[in-house]
Amino acid sequence: MPDLPTEAAMTAPPAAAIPTLAGAQGSRVRPLAALGVAIVAAVLFGTLVTNSFIVTIAGYTCAFSLFALSINIMLGGLGEVPLGQCVFFGIGGYGVGIGMIKFGLPFELAAALSMAVSVAAAALIGALTLRLTGAYFSIVSWGLSGVALVAALNLTDVTGGPLGMYGFPPITVASIPLANPRGYFFVTVTVLILAVLLLHAVRDSRFGAAMESVRQNRHLAQSVGVDIFRQRLKAFLLSATLAALGGALCVPYAQIVTPEIFSVGNTVDALLMVLLGGSQLLVGPIIGAVIFTVIPHYLELDPNVRILLFSTAIVLIMIFAPGGLHQISSALIRRFKRKSGAQDPR
Amino acid sequence: MHKTPADASTQATAATEFAVRASDIHKRYGGVTALDGVSLTVNAGEIFGIIGPNGAGKSTLFDVLCGITKATSGKVEVLGQDVTRMSPHLVARSGVARTFQRTAVFGEATVFDNLLYGRHSSFRHSVIGRIFRSPAYRNDHGAFEAKAREVLAVTGLGEDRGRLASVLAYGVQRRLAVAVALMSEPKILFLDEPAAGMNGRETDDFIALIRLIAPGRTIVIVEHDMAVIKSLCGRALVVVDGRPVVVDAPDQVFKHAEVISAYLGADDD
Repeated sequence: MPDLPTEAAMTAPPAAAIPTLAGAQGSRVRPLAALGVAIVAAVLFGTLVTNSFIVTIAGYTCAFSLFALSINIMLGGLGEVPLGQCVFFGIGGYGVGIGMIKFGLPFELAAALSMAVSVAAAALIGALTLRLTGAYFSIVSWGLSGVALVAALNLTDVTGGPLGMYGFPPITVASIPLANPRGYFFVTVTVLILAVLLLHAVRDSRFGAAMESVRQNRHLAQSVGVDIFRQRLKAFLLSATLAALGGALCVPYAQIVTPEIFSVGNTVDALLMVLLGGSQLLVGPIIGAVIFTVIPHYLELDPNVRILLFSTAIVLIMIFAPGGLHQISSALIRRFKRKSGAQDPR
Repeated sequence: MHKTPADASTQATAATEFAVRASDIHKRYGGVTALDGVSLTVNAGEIFGIIGPNGAGKSTLFDVLCGITKATSGKVEVLGQDVTRMSPHLVARSGVARTFQRTAVFGEATVFDNLLYGRHSSFRHSVIGRIFRSPAYRNDHGAFEAKAREVLAVTGLGEDRGRLASVLAYGVQRRLAVAVALMSEPKILFLDEPAAGMNGRETDDFIALIRLIAPGRTIVIVEHDMAVIKSLCGRALVVVDGRPVVVDAPDQVFKHAEVISAYLGADDD
């Protein structure tokens, strides 16, 4: 009996049928299956791993991954290199610091407020800088992060100056203490999964399609009715929100916020994660973040050696697999499938 | 899409409505005058050609008409709307689509995703709507699929829909550019030198495609290839040195003395 198209066919189509709006990119991994795997893996990791150091690092990696995801909205989404993205990461960190220490707010509220401040800052910065593209945008945004750094160093009454802000009261989220490694991990991994779900929906929406069309060919995008500046601003606001959330969630790990949070080194770390994992893969930045945190830990690398090693790796990856490490693995999978006689659908 | 060409032309002549009207367009770049008082009227439903020697200002005129470039002075109306100072993306949303002289497609996307991006101005759903599969999202989705199927069939791209645009042959990319333009269901379609760089067979295919999609819309073509203009256009405007010289049937315009001298290069300057 021939299958009639049903509602179910629209939500979970076979690979050959027209999938979701995002077409090719959205359909490669079945989202629900991937979500299930991610949840099971997170629960198993959080309950079975007993080394509290590892669990804490995993929680921090999830928090920093949010920042890498925010960078990738700009890099993979708009094709811009946002060297000043640490401004929003820093606003997240300082927002929690100022909110909790100066005003005695609960962590959740302080984080939410810092995200709001970050969005406001992004609206202002974006209105001024988003008409620039390429190197011009990168340099101007880098310059703004320098301004933020100087401000954090000198506004001693607000930011604590060069020493930063420390002496946090116990931090909790929904009464889960984040000083507990497991609590910290489960909170950050939950937020991370929710962020990925949001970004998946974005990619598969009118906004995501418009963003991608602007990145690929802005003149053509404009000629089919896309308001280039508006789409870029929306992407920038979204990325600033995520960056602030990441910055806020890194505070329970570091227990201190210093002006260094505004240093371009932070942005570069996150950029490297994105390039390692692949900017066109939704979870690429997370893969990159895991590699970026795990390898130095096990190799017990000196920070300088680490930079040398990762810089070399980035150069090699950009030459041989510009799509990031996942490109190598998918090429291997394709080769394997071809050998075993299976047909490649694309 | 169901009207015959005859319907469309009678409609155009019966009604006094025009699709594009430009009045006394001047465009200066610094001290260089690219357009010097061009006026034209394109009737609804006709296929209108713009021709002229290299550097005559055809492309500038074209960009002014579809809103990409703003005129220094003069007025452009499209579908009864003054678009002289309107943002290009708003002009596009009012029912105008265009192709580019150098083939412009979304190279890193599949043919199918190219059509998706082309559909932007018809989409209404938000990200929140996408998450909860709101009625707006489902409407957009359904209408997009139907339109994509139709456009793939018309442009003969059904087989290629999963392929990356950048790997397609040149002539196929040109058809894709038209397909992207068609996704917004434009009332006016501007084609910038559509046959440039095509071989004879590709040109013939392209002419057939334009004939197929012409009913029910207005098409404006800038073109070097006179064969294309002659086989498609009812009327053509000749532009020489930024000035309009003559508007007439393609066969007739070449009888005009100034056109002959411009094309033969018998220029005294």
